[in-house]
Amino acid sequence: MFVCLCKGITDSDIQQLVLEHGVGSIRELKQHVALGSECGTCTKVAQMVIDNTIIDETLFKNVG
Amino acid sequence: MQSTSTILSMLNEVLTTELTSINQYFLHARMYKNWGFNTLNDKCYKKSIMDMKQADKLIERILFLEGLPNLQRLGALSIGEHTVEMIKCDTGVQITQIEQMKTAIALCETEKDYVTRELLTEILEHEEEHLDWLETQDYQIQNMGIDKYLQAQL
Ligand code: FES
Ligand SMILES: [Fe+2]
Repeated sequence: MFVCLCKGITDSDIQQLVLEHGVGSIRELKQHVALGSECGTCTKVAQMVIDNTIIDETLFKNVG
Repeated sequence: MQSTSTILSMLNEVLTTELTSINQYFLHARMYKNWGFNTLNDKCYKKSIMDMKQADKLIERILFLEGLPNLQRLGALSIGEHTVEMIKCDTGVQITQIEQMKTAIALCETEKDYVTRELLTEILEHEEEHLDWLETQDYQIQNMGIDKYLQAQL
């Protein structure tokens, strides 16, 4: 789904940046994409997507 | 006629939900249309117009109760990238709104505002109907597969 409608950034875009570029915060995310640069409504959900992706990744590593 | 501030702020919150819903369904409708899924376009377009009519009633009620309808505030939209995700996003929105409407109706009860209660009950009925339609779509997708489902929407 679209997390940032103003800039057309999806949850999978964010997940990819977390997994492939080690993005761990909104500040780091903003170095790659313009998320949150217009209305700012999206930052809360974007933070959740980052957090959940990191959690999933650690769980995966623990199992592996 | 004056009302309590709790009723007025509740009505404004319900109004924000409707205003957000108008845009959510309008965008989903036109995304479906762009992909040629005409029945889904129709359904979402009509839902958006229905939300507009509901917003209108809420605005009139707030003004009648001597409050100021907040048309500035808008919630975050929940927009999917493809049909299954769009149905999932809409379902989430409906569930949240139905929860909100029930709390709002309970408040009308304690504040003895029976006319507002009637207005909200009518809105709730439509929102439940739409949730039921969304659940039916989900059921059909599970049972006939997304490809067949989408073929039927052309
Ligand atoms: S939705 Fe991200 S800046 Fe507006
Ligand atoms: Fe509505």
